[in-house]
This record gives sequence, structure tokens and C-alpha cells, in this order.
Amino acid sequence: MQTSGNMKWLWLAIGAVVMLALPQFVTSSFAIDIFIRILLFSFIGVAWNLMGGYAKQLSLGHAAYFGVGAYTSTIMQVNYGISPWIGMIAGGVVAMLASLPIGWLCFRLRGPYFTIATIATAQVLMLIFLKFRDFAWGAEGTTIPNLGSAPLMMQFEEKSSYYYVVLGLLVVGLWITHQIEKSWIGYYLVAIGEDEDAAEAIGVNAPKVKRDIYMISAFLTALAGTFYTQYIYFIDPATAFSFNVSIEAALVSIVGGIGTLWGPVIGTVLLETTSALLQSWLGSSVGGIQLTVYSLILMAVILWRPTGLIGFATDVYHRTLRRKPARA
Amino acid sequence: MAEALVIKGLSKRFGGLRAVQDVSFTVQENETVALIGPNGAGKTTSFHLITGFHRPDSGSVLAFGQEVVGLRPHDVCALGMARTFQVAKPFGAMTVLANVMTGAFLRDRHVAAAQKKAREAIEFVGLGAKEQTRARDLTTIDQRRLEMARALATQPRILLLDEVMAGLNPAEIDQAVALVKKLSASGLTIVIVEHVMRAIMAVARHIVVLDHGQKIAEGAPKEIVENPEVIRAYLGSYVHPTAQGDAHA
Repeated sequence: MQTSGNMKWLWLAIGAVVMLALPQFVTSSFAIDIFIRILLFSFIGVAWNLMGGYAKQLSLGHAAYFGVGAYTSTIMQVNYGISPWIGMIAGGVVAMLASLPIGWLCFRLRGPYFTIATIATAQVLMLIFLKFRDFAWGAEGTTIPNLGSAPLMMQFEEKSSYYYVVLGLLVVGLWITHQIEKSWIGYYLVAIGEDEDAAEAIGVNAPKVKRDIYMISAFLTALAGTFYTQYIYFIDPATAFSFNVSIEAALVSIVGGIGTLWGPVIGTVLLETTSALLQSWLGSSVGGIQLTVYSLILMAVILWRPTGLIGFATDVYHRTLRRKPARA
Repeated sequence: MAEALVIKGLSKRFGGLRAVQDVSFTVQENETVALIGPNGAGKTTSFHLITGFHRPDSGSVLAFGQEVVGLRPHDVCALGMARTFQVAKPFGAMTVLANVMTGAFLRDRHVAAAQKKAREAIEFVGLGAKEQTRARDLTTIDQRRLEMARALATQPRILLLDEVMAGLNPAEIDQAVALVKKLSASGLTIVIVEHVMRAIMAVARHIVVLDHGQKIAEGAPKEIVENPEVIRAYLGSYVHPTAQGDAHA
């Protein structure tokens, strides 16, 4: 539903100015690093949310596409000197192509079986990159040659430049989500997530819709993979296909609110800041306590607010303003 | 009158169970046909076979002359055959309007056009006041109405209604009967699976009776209620000692 249009644009404008100005005021490298992580995981969450959130296809294997994107651009750069900007798009395309057979296999399964199958695909890809050394450096991975300031090769001396790159990615991800959400595809995705049989009965070609959204989701996730590798100047199978990436993509969306435009962003802000703060406050005192507190927060959200923080906020908003719950 | 739906020799086994055996019947255009029978007679399975949710072992289903066996449910729907489910399957998190728009997108991908079509269907089934209600908050009868509106929004020519009156109170059944009659009056061909005999008598011009997966009788409502085979299927032969001789004859 459209809340008053002018207010929406005002908020967007304020948000844009704040986001663009932020690196000019915050100069601490530690803080910028946290911002970049927040933007990156927001973006991965946004990519995941298209399929995992709107269509409720709970994938825990998005690391597959993160890794495919990272390796494609890195191989192109290290072996052939091709700019990661091109490699990034190429990685996205390779991820899209990879999502076709993977989706073909996994979408035969529903519910938890689908989830397990997606985990397996990411693990298998990691093993392939671990075992076949001639292909891509094997377990030890490789460092990205440092060219100093080389914007055309996606290398910057200022951390703030990386911030703007990943901010741009997030904006693209949100824009695509918004376009999908308000079109027929958004309705079809939610319908499939709610009840696939009922959706089929009213003419929704569920397998095709799922395949297409999976491709878009894989493409975007791969872009994140390239960016991350360029940011840390290093790649190995354990990082590129890390199960943590898959988990994080799902978690930030679930905590923030699946199937909502801003859910993954809000989820990431909450989880990443909490994790960073807990680490700086508690990390040195009692080992592991920050992870315990982090887990407790997660459990609390999932137990009491399964619709995520956005769902919670919407309910409160409608209750206090006594408006009908509206979600189209 | 043209034949809207021609079903020939439809059969389906699930392991050792013959769910539907060699069932044939024909539905004329703009006719309302009821499919009745005791629990487990194969009514819902027949619906699944006709609409592509199950693939029959043998037999054919012609919708306006076109074979639909082998098509997937969304293709069957695109051909103009829409169905509702025995247990309503609303898209719970969506509003009534969004639910029905999802159906309307089959014929028109534009949001404004789909919204207009959806509103017409919602008005038609009498849910106009609740278009912004979340589907999961609807009462049973309103969920059935929503199922019908969603099916209608796909602009079908044949509508298959699976027990839309189950669980309704007598007053609600009257409303539902009126709605089915209204659908028929709008020119739709309707196949209805129903247990509520009062409703069937009110809406159906032709009745097909299934028992243990087989068609045991077919005809006008009056003939059907007097048919000894049908009485036996529903009540069992021992209840009617006088009818027993007839049934075995």
C-alpha cells in the first residue's frame, strides 16, 4: 500500500543524503569497515529475499553463487587481466547459468528437503574448488595483485570508495526488489510462497516463476561475491563458499522481515551492529559470550516475532493509528 | 448446446487402490452438473485428474474440444477451466484484493487492469466490504467466496467447485446456493462436488453419482434420488430391507 507519496520521497532523500555523506564524517577505518559489512550483507540479504522471502523458498545455499561470482571475476582478473567490473557481470551471468541445473534439481523438493539440497550444492561447489587445484589454486587460494589506486580494476586506496560501490549495489538490489514487488511477479512470488497448488490452480506457472527469480537472486548474490573478494584482496574456497554467507543471507532477512523491501537491511543493521558492539564490549572479557548473546537475540526474534521486525513495526503502526492492516 | 467438458474412460490407481475407474460423463455448455457420492468415492480425485493436479492412468478430458490430459494445472487454467479446493487455500498473508488480483494477472499483467477485474469478481461474490482484509482473517464462508472470486478472476468458461458448502450453516448454504446460481446465470459451465443434498437439488440440472471410483448412476436430480443403486451406495442395503430385493435384481 502506498503511504503518502511525498513523505516517502522525503524519507528517501534524507536517507540518500545521510548515506552519501556518512564516509565524509566517519573517518575511523574500523567504523567504515562495519558500514561496508552492513551494506554488503544487506545486499546479499536483499538478493536472497527475492526468492527466500517473497516466494518462501528457504535456500541455505546462496554461498554457491557468492563463490561462483567471486571465482569468476578473480580467475578473469588474475589469469587474463580482465577488470573485475566486467568480471563481476560475467560472474553474475555464470551464477545465473549455474542456478538453472541447481534449481532444476532442488525445486523438485519442497520445504526442508529443498533447504538441505541447497546446502549440499554450495558444499559440492566448495569441494570442487578445493580439490581441483589446476583449475583455481585449490585450498590455499590466492591473493589479488594489489595495484594501488586502480578504480578501473575495482581497487581503491580509500575505504570509503568501497563503501560507495557496495552502497550502489544495495541501491540496485532494492530498486529491482521494488520493481518486482509492485508488479505481477511480486504477487506470483507471494502466492507461490503461500500455497503453490492454489497458485497453480489460478494459472501461475510456479516452476517457471521460481526458476526466473532464482536466476535473478543468483545473479545479484554473485555480484556480492566479486565485491567481497576485491575488498579483502583474497580468495579461497572456504571464504568464497562459506556456509556463513548462506546463513547470514537468510538470517538478516528473517530477523528483519522476509518478503519485505527493507527487511534484510533492517535485519543486517540490527545483527551486524549488535555483533560488532558485543564483540568490542564483551569480546575480550569472557570468550564466546558475544556469540551467546547474539544467539539469544536471534532466538528471541524468531520465537516472538516470526514476521520479523518489519512485521512487528507494521503491527504497532496500524494498532496505534487504528488503521486496517494493509498488505498488497 | 455445445459440449463444454467431455470426460471419457478416466482411471487412476494409487497403488492397490482404484481411486477412479473408467468414469465418463459430459457437461453441456452453461449447464451445472453435480458430482456426488459417499466419502472416498473419487470425486475430488476426479477433479484433480480433470484439472491436471494428477495425471490419469488412462482416459481423456476434452475442454471445449481440446485435450487437457498431460497439461499442468496452470495450463488447464489458462485454457479456461478454474477450480476451487475442498479445503480453502487462501494466500493467507495477502489481502482479499491481492489474492484475487493474482488470479486476474493470468489475463492481464498490468496492475491497474488486474485490480479492476479483481474488484469486479470480489463484488460478484459479495466480498466488496472486505477487500482490504487479510485472507487468513476471513470466516469460512468468506474464504470460500474468496476461492470463487480468485477462480473467477482468471476468466474461466468452466468452473469446478469442490465442496464449497462444507462446514457452512443453513443460512450460509442458502447464500452459497444463490451465488452458484448467479455464477450459472452469468453463463458459466459449472461442475460441483457437494455433500449437501439440499444445495445439489437447488443448483444441478444433471447429477453424476460415483461410488468406489465408479460411476453408478447419472441423470436428472429426481431420477437420482429414487435410484436404488444410489440409495444403496449412500445408506447401505441393510437399512432398506424392502429395497434390498430391488438392488440385487
